[in-house]
Amino acid sequence: MTERMPFLLTESLDAARREETHQHIETCTLCSEEWSAYQETWRVMDDLPVVEVPPALRERFLAAAGLEGGRPVRPENNVVPFHRRPAFKWVAQAAAVVVLAGSGYFFGRETAPTFRSEPVSVERAGLIKPLSIAETRVVDANAISPEIEGRPNITNVSFIDGDASDNQIRVAFDITSRWTVTGNPRDKSMVRLLSYMLESEAGIAPRSNALDVVRRTYSDPANADPEIAHALAKVLRNDEHEGVRIRAVETLTTLPANVALPTRDALIEALKNDPNPAVRLKAVQALANMAQSGATLDAEAVNTLRLKAAQDDENLYVRVKAAEALSKIKH
Amino acid sequence: MKHLSDQELMRIVQAGDYSPASEIYDRYSGRIYNFAFRFLKNAEAAEDAAQEVFVKMLKYANQFHGDAKLSTWLFSITANWCRDYLRKSDNKAKEAEDVLVALPAPSEYSPDRTLEQRENEQLVRRALMGLTPEQREAILLSRYQGLSYAEIAQIAGCSEGAVKTRVFRAMETLKKTLAGHAGRGDRCLNAVQ
Repeated sequence: MTERMPFLLTESLDAARREETHQHIETCTLCSEEWSAYQETWRVMDDLPVVEVPPALRERFLAAAGLEGGRPVRPENNVVPFHRRPAFKWVAQAAAVVVLAGSGYFFGRETAPTFRSEPVSVERAGLIKPLSIAETRVVDANAISPEIEGRPNITNVSFIDGDASDNQIRVAFDITSRWTVTGNPRDKSMVRLLSYMLESEAGIAPRSNALDVVRRTYSDPANADPEIAHALAKVLRNDEHEGVRIRAVETLTTLPANVALPTRDALIEALKNDPNPAVRLKAVQALANMAQSGATLDAEAVNTLRLKAAQDDENLYVRVKAAEALSKIKH
Repeated sequence: MKHLSDQELMRIVQAGDYSPASEIYDRYSGRIYNFAFRFLKNAEAAEDAAQEVFVKMLKYANQFHGDAKLSTWLFSITANWCRDYLRKSDNKAKEAEDVLVALPAPSEYSPDRTLEQRENEQLVRRALMGLTPEQREAILLSRYQGLSYAEIAQIAGCSEGAVKTRVFRAMETLKKTLAGHAGRGDRCLNAVQ
């Protein structure tokens, strides 16, 4: 009878079986206990609330579908008008690949003596095979130029877990073909590539994954890099997704103080202007951490904290944290 | 647009006019987003999933057959996206990290929600993540989306019997976690007919 109980809950038993099961439960102590537990489980599951869809998602979808502001676009000949990349963008992407490769001469070739590009099977690289890509090009970060030009459309980003002890970052992505770049966190090319990914317009998840990697890697003082801090500050200022902005502040907080300190302006801006209270809360906590670590906050930072602590219409938690931060500032 | 049925809206889309896209989005985005969010326990991925699902809905509109329910078709696309997402190794790690980046929706932090409800919410989220993806998919579609086992079977690409087994096993696991009821080891021997 126990097997029927979930189906009793989902009302998927026919009338006869339902009746039979209920009658049995009434007369059987074991099943009665079991049924109560099922009902309790069902009730507790009700406490999982319905979450609201982020309002920006609607706009994102309409833009992705080529329906700006919901204005219908009628495709010709019933052809779906998905973003067909203009030729110049392909050229730009190809140019970016060339730059990434460090030499336009080798673009399109499978091997290149100085480029150290080794075509390997996707399976060998441990990656899920992208639909249109036959092979992955593996390259060391120090073999590519740190200058990323042409705003290449980097997609399908994944960070590959390798040997944790080798202090290497492995990042795979698609441009015009699949690439895996491996490099030391201190390598400028790797720093620039990660910074670029943090700001990329690809999905939220890749940006979030990049933030995870940055937090894990650059919180180590040995890897500290001001460009990473700068990129995080840009994410905090510009990213439209509040979850990403929150994570950017959290990541900034983990960076060594000497690297994170120059980003305090971004934190102050976020505290002043970010529309989301959770982002403001994270920003004020980050400023408090800086103050606690002995960093000197300038007059504007202190004034902003004072303003926030006293601002009636500010979120209560933000006000409390601002007051706490002020108490930690050494006078 | 609001007075048109799902099938009528899709026929317009199939004819190449995307004007019903926003109406379809408004009808289903909540369900799709919540399903993906509960499945992945990751708000960012749920956003990506929802966007991708609606874009694919337009792109592959001609694959939608009028005799099917639009919700079933959309959930199929969503479930596929979520399964692919979990298959990627780096996302598996993310799942295990208990990531919940997104801001809590207002409903979650509503003062109307009691402490017990909030605790239960965390408990349910954790318990759901303790299920296998197949079990989680089945229970989410059944419990929270009210889909029939036949519809879930269509979405999961398995038999109705397999769905029932997944739901049963999921409920057994959830019962142990949420009701603290592991049973006394002895079971009623009154077999299912």
